[in-house]
Amino acid sequence: MSREQIPIPSTNVPLKKNRKAKGFQILTPWLFLIPALIIITLFLIIPIVEAFIWSLQDYKLIAQSGEFVGLENFKKIFTDELFWRALLNTILFVLFVLPLNIFLPMILAALVNQKIRAAGMFRVLYYLPVVTPMVVAALMWRMLYSESGFLAKFLYEIGLFDRPTNLLVQSSTALFAVAMITVWKGLGYYMMMYLAGLQNISKDLYEAASIDGASKLQSFWKITVPMLIPYSTLVSVLTIINGLKVFEEIQLTTNGGPAGATTTLVMYIFNKFMDLDVSIASAAGIVLLILAVAASLLQMKLTSKREEDLRG
Amino acid sequence: MQTKKMLNKIFVYLIMIFIACITVGPFLITLFMSLKSPSEGIYESILPQQMTFSNYIDAFEKANFGQYLLNTVIVTALAVPLNLVFCSLAAYPLARMDFRGREVVLTLIIATMMVPFQLYMAPLFQLTGNLGLRNTYFGLIILQIATAFGIYLMRQSYISIPKELEESAFIDGANRFQVWWKIVLPLSKPTLITLAIYTFTFTWGDYLWPLLNITTSEMNTISIGLAKLSQNFDGANMKLISAASILSTIPTLLIFIFLQKYFVGTTDGAIKG
Repeated sequence: MSREQIPIPSTNVPLKKNRKAKGFQILTPWLFLIPALIIITLFLIIPIVEAFIWSLQDYKLIAQSGEFVGLENFKKIFTDELFWRALLNTILFVLFVLPLNIFLPMILAALVNQKIRAAGMFRVLYYLPVVTPMVVAALMWRMLYSESGFLAKFLYEIGLFDRPTNLLVQSSTALFAVAMITVWKGLGYYMMMYLAGLQNISKDLYEAASIDGASKLQSFWKITVPMLIPYSTLVSVLTIINGLKVFEEIQLTTNGGPAGATTTLVMYIFNKFMDLDVSIASAAGIVLLILAVAASLLQMKLTSKREEDLRG
Repeated sequence: MQTKKMLNKIFVYLIMIFIACITVGPFLITLFMSLKSPSEGIYESILPQQMTFSNYIDAFEKANFGQYLLNTVIVTALAVPLNLVFCSLAAYPLARMDFRGREVVLTLIIATMMVPFQLYMAPLFQLTGNLGLRNTYFGLIILQIATAFGIYLMRQSYISIPKELEESAFIDGANRFQVWWKIVLPLSKPTLITLAIYTFTFTWGDYLWPLLNITTSEMNTISIGLAKLSQNFDGANMKLISAASILSTIPTLLIFIFLQKYFVGTTDGAIKG
């Protein structure tokens, strides 16, 4: 009897023909799925649907009821200057983080990918910020940034400022200062992504380059960077998705200040929620959702394209 | 030529050490800060003049960090196994069985991965209030019990297992559940560990949801405890905040050091709502 003829239980080819067994076969996948589906429906899908409904109501959290108001909440946020400020700040934040996230981890990956002693140790050291709880990272940096802290002192001593300055409390630098925390925390994470890419580059390319007399730096620019471009698009999209949702490092350092200079979209939603304006928060949440979904779809397209490239 | 190569190597090492200073420096500064004695100025020098553990004792005795650490351990110890069981179960039929509704479930799961938490946190807040889950351990992990991300990750792992392994078990008379438990699951161990690490680090450091769902200080997790402590961000409090920060990071650090090789996998499916 050859392998192919062995009957395999599946819903298409029932092993036993009696009705009870067939009924059980239809049920089997659902027995596996039900526990997770119940949880996801209750705590994820129902709240998501509710958020959509609330965005069209003037929902009151205390009374737990609301009247239908159409697109009134959206009109309100679109005429709210602070909302546009928050949207602009979010975009600015992403623009600060994006170039650094693309290039710094690429350099880190190339460095730790070398065949040198201690490369493994450096990999661990570079990854350390990733495993730090975000709250801890935010507080550590807040300490470094503080006026009498070491970073302010350092920037003053190298002559960047004429007196020790806390970058987090200047409205011109606060958003940038917060973005640096995000970059610091993500370096190792994106480095790993590039490392996966580096593993796919054939060693022959480097050998050929070195025979032709190319220096290490030249190989990096002419081979490593171009070969990592597909990965850098993935890094970019992930940076955008995560950047849209930036919250902890802002709430715990500047709390959206000074004077709204670091109020991002999520800070805006959070503040509306704290004021119990949950319908406004939901409407702003839907704007966030649309942006996040657009970025995610882009990511999926890129990922599946990459998979196709690998297969083809 | 030889000296040039040598110089090159030294230069590369110097760059690597410089970057390491940036990534590790903030930890070291915080660690040194946490070891400074009460009488010492906080920013006079980086290194403590007189090493003391009194800030750590204060973190436990005055700031109640023992309780916060315990709460966080309980929450994480609940979330990780539940997440592994629920996700690895649900992923199996999505990877291997052919049934009506499969595509719908799969699409739904991938779709929920894209939804930012901030959209539905208010309805969820109301729901946990109504269900009596405010200020409970269970209330803190509801989003970690079964995650779309976890199901997706496990499914990817199952798909890569050769079907022949399962087929021979079916011939021996094993049922679906036995095949999942005895063959598929053991073969997915690396992915399970990756998922466990992911759930652990996320639950351990989770901030926004505990911030909403905890209203009494004895239920605080380390994130909330730290945030509350930092509301008074002046000189005298800085050493205590540093000690608490170090305490909060040690468990994730230990896990990272021991399970290093699995951490690479945590970059696999990077979106999470």
